[in-house]
Amino acid sequence: MSTPLIILIVIALILILMYNSLVAKKNQVTNIFASVDTVLKKRYDLIPNLVASVNKYMEHEKSLLEEVTKLRAEANRPNISDEQKITLDAKVSSALGSIMVAVENYPELKANENVMHLQRTLNEVEEQISAARRAYNQAVTDYNNAIEMIPTNYMASLMSYKQKEVFEIVESQRKNINVKELFN
Amino acid sequence: MKSVSELTDFYYKNLFPTLKNLEDKRKKVKERMILISIIYTLLFALIAYAIGDFYEFILVAYIVLGTIIYKFLIKDYTHEFKLNVIKPLIHAIDNSLLYSSTTHVSDYLFEHSNLFSKPDRLSGNDYVKGKIDNINIQFSDIHAQKRHKNSRGKESWSTLFQGLFLVADFNKHFYGETVVLPDTAQNSFGSLIGHWLQSNNISRDELVKMDDTEFEKEFVVYSSDQVEARYILSNALMKKLLFFKEKSKHDIYISFIGANIYMAISYEKDLFEPSIFSSLLEYKVAMEYIKTLHLAISVVKELKLNQRLWSKT
Repeated sequence: MSTPLIILIVIALILILMYNSLVAKKNQVTNIFASVDTVLKKRYDLIPNLVASVNKYMEHEKSLLEEVTKLRAEANRPNISDEQKITLDAKVSSALGSIMVAVENYPELKANENVMHLQRTLNEVEEQISAARRAYNQAVTDYNNAIEMIPTNYMASLMSYKQKEVFEIVESQRKNINVKELFN
Repeated sequence: MKSVSELTDFYYKNLFPTLKNLEDKRKKVKERMILISIIYTLLFALIAYAIGDFYEFILVAYIVLGTIIYKFLIKDYTHEFKLNVIKPLIHAIDNSLLYSSTTHVSDYLFEHSNLFSKPDRLSGNDYVKGKIDNINIQFSDIHAQKRHKNSRGKESWSTLFQGLFLVADFNKHFYGETVVLPDTAQNSFGSLIGHWLQSNNISRDELVKMDDTEFEKEFVVYSSDQVEARYILSNALMKKLLFFKEKSKHDIYISFIGANIYMAISYEKDLFEPSIFSSLLEYKVAMEYIKTLHLAISVVKELKLNQRLWSKT
């Protein structure tokens, strides 16, 4: 075999490998976003139940409850983009957090079996969401790195791959929510 | 649970009469051992001299027979030591724990942990089993070995793992398999090549890159599920595992399979064995028994396995 042919084959191989690794990284992001979506849905499904349970007691926080309900409706609309889902998730997290803090002011609620169960379920879902977010962020970081780094960046710009957004992880979410403390 | 210093007090106060008694026995065994080994060595030297050949064979026979005689000589002393020192120590930590000096964690659990390849020979002793804060826990000394045959059909054994093997209930629900191993590749080959080697490890599941840099430096994580691995290894648990590793000062292998957490702490020696040549009253000797036991039993508290915050029942 002539030398130019060998060089050509090697270059073709490198190009194929680069192309495949980029596609794999992009698909990994899509796959993991699907799991993020599943757990986010799980949380949205808990919201009506939560609102119904605390509605009667929480006179002063009516606006907060309305906001959460509104956010849920927004998230349930069809055809919203991944970026929108990410922004909505941040809003819902903070709104739910405020509701949970507000629950502390109502002894009847704190003692309520149903609310307690909801709180526990919500904590578990929160924990799953946090895991999914971290997995997604890692996949996006790998993908973004590949897009920016030499030599895959040339290939990526040819394939018109764009940078993706990561979930902002708020410092307070890094810590596990201690349910025992919430109950005391 | 008692602290290490409380246990040290217990060792030197409550166990003192037993220790003194054992100490006398140890001295007797030691004297006998020295005498026998001198005669034994002389005997072998004489045989070797008389035959004048096969030195390799004689040396092997010397070591094998010597080990058997050594084990036989210290057998009674070892038994008494375990019954009168190790057992009370374990009970001082928690009275409900069961102890057996001869059995070990089952072969099934060891293989099920997926931490090491299937051993051809598994031995062990000093098995402890029970409940701490309602969490099932069991651990023992384990020595797992693999058989090798060279081209001439000669058999040899290599150690897969030797140290403490521990199984406990885990406090979260999960379905896949997640394995956490010491990060040897990245430490010896640097992060770029090391990382490439890790991601191409065909005997393991997918590589999971964790978002805790300290943790990433010490460990490498493989899992069948990227999201679940992070659900199990929360930021808090990663911190705790790092702390635990630092405390144990040995390599740690961890896996999460079924409803359990498996942990293998590589001490590279048989634990909880008495030494004929150092005194039981020596602080260093005592601390090793106490610290190892305390470390194993404190897993539940250290990793907060007892906090079932989630809806797992």
